[in-house]
Amino acid sequence: MAGYGRDERAWVRGAQAGSASDLEALFRAHWPRAYRAAYLVVHDAAAAEDIAQEAFLAAVRALDRFDRRRPFGPWLHRIVVNRAVDWARARALRREVAGDALEGEPALAPAPAGDAAGLASRLAELPPDQRAVIVLRYLLEYTPGEIADLLELPRGTVNSRLRRGLDRMAAGLEEEA
Amino acid sequence: MTEEQLRELCAQPAPGEEAAGERSLGAVQAAYASREPGRARRRLPIRAALVLAACAAVAAVAVTPPGRAVLGRLRDAVGRERVTPSRPALVSLPAPGRLLVLSARGPWVVRQDGSKRLLGAYEDASWSPHGLFVVATRGRSLVALTPAGVIRWSLSRKPVSRPRWSPDGFRIAYRSGTNLRVVAGDGTEDRLIAQRVTHTPPAWRPGARHVLAFVDRLGSLHVVDTDSTEELWVTEAVPGTRQPTWSADGKLLAVLTGDNIVRLFHAGGGLIQALALPSGVASDLSFAPVDRSFAVALFRPATRRSIVVVGDADTVGIRRLFGGGGRLRGLTWSPDGRWLLLAWPAADQLIFVRVADRKVVAVSNVAREFDPGGIGPVAFPRLAGWCCPQGSGLPPG
Repeated sequence: MAGYGRDERAWVRGAQAGSASDLEALFRAHWPRAYRAAYLVVHDAAAAEDIAQEAFLAAVRALDRFDRRRPFGPWLHRIVVNRAVDWARARALRREVAGDALEGEPALAPAPAGDAAGLASRLAELPPDQRAVIVLRYLLEYTPGEIADLLELPRGTVNSRLRRGLDRMAAGLEEEA
Repeated sequence: MTEEQLRELCAQPAPGEEAAGERSLGAVQAAYASREPGRARRRLPIRAALVLAACAAVAAVAVTPPGRAVLGRLRDAVGRERVTPSRPALVSLPAPGRLLVLSARGPWVVRQDGSKRLLGAYEDASWSPHGLFVVATRGRSLVALTPAGVIRWSLSRKPVSRPRWSPDGFRIAYRSGTNLRVVAGDGTEDRLIAQRVTHTPPAWRPGARHVLAFVDRLGSLHVVDTDSTEELWVTEAVPGTRQPTWSADGKLLAVLTGDNIVRLFHAGGGLIQALALPSGVASDLSFAPVDRSFAVALFRPATRRSIVVVGDADTVGIRRLFGGGGRLRGLTWSPDGRWLLLAWPAADQLIFVRVADRKVVAVSNVAREFDPGGIGPVAFPRLAGWCCPQGSGLPPG
């Protein structure tokens, strides 16, 4: 996965030393992909915001213990993706006991248009575990081996989830056509 | 479908990405400003040495008779509750649920793991019954929004305050100017319920369809059906009547009155009991969310100390729960009714007291935590609710 190298290490060091501007730089560098990863797993803008924000808050709480020699991104992405998968699973359970209209699920945010819309809706139909590995692979650009490390899964499991997910998406798109 | 198409999808900004980032940056900066700096950790051995030295000095003093007298006075001043060491920040809640805290910057949602979200520049706020929404006020606007800060609807009236969501989620009562109004939970059917009401918040009756208790300016307690606007019953005026609160089963209604009495009424009207409180000026009254326990905060001007007592509406017994210098306010029960949260501005602390055994968890540096980066004196925040009953609300973070 492409990182921010020396910049990132400098931001982490600065934030640990009390520099609010370095913390902001770190946030701005990582927010778009953290939020997007959460969104593509949960397909709910408010939940994605919560999940990404909480990951950053966890980072702030653990900042003093963070090892500067290690990249910040994978550590953050692990939290984001695991929480997003948990949220998606919990929502699936909650749907079975949905309440009245007012207190029900918030409306989903607008979906992307065109071909991307079809892809996004096919992605949304996958089980959360498969969504997560696809997002890690194609948004965050981790290799299957890195994904296996991040999610603490055997590499074979990552490969099979990727394969099954991609196959299901392709089949869905062919049916649409 | 190609992998390239997937990469293109992932390269597009997600809906709300930028706005969510700006909101979250504020919360992250707030958490960063209130954290213990790393340098403090490296000084820990020196601090530990100082603490050990202080403990040794206290121990040495305690073995002499004059020393024991000093410690006795100190204990009286501080109180006799079992206090665990104060936490430097609100890093977790001792019971499930989420807090709503009103600061000068606006309402904050605090999750059980201590993570916080600032909802925006609103003045007053309260939870919907399952915590999926918050109703907030800003000047002339009444706003319903999600705990993520997304506005669902708003309406404008005379200056609005004291919004309260009905237990079924279908009505919101609020004060507009000196009027009491009710609007449907989706922002429609706004209607006037009463004129010339006090500042004290109205209270919805649990388990009943849209029955609301409120106090008028003369001190009469009213109970109305807000759908028909029929007045179900009203008391004679008693000066200083305030803080109406219903028991969890909706069968009892309690108010504080100016003569320092808790008056307990049947839900259908009729006084059951008038409970004289210990000396002091009662400021807060709140029924527990699970039974017929209630809590009252009392301030004693002569000693400038406050106590919080817990009573039982069935046995009419009262026991002391916590005491401290200055005022205690904002009595807020945990959703499971096991903990009571108190705001203690003089100590800049939030106090969580476990009701069964009076165990205390204190959290320090509260004012700054909810106004990070603020300059000059910081207003102590107000507590606006601890949400929600188990099995509802958002999934754990």
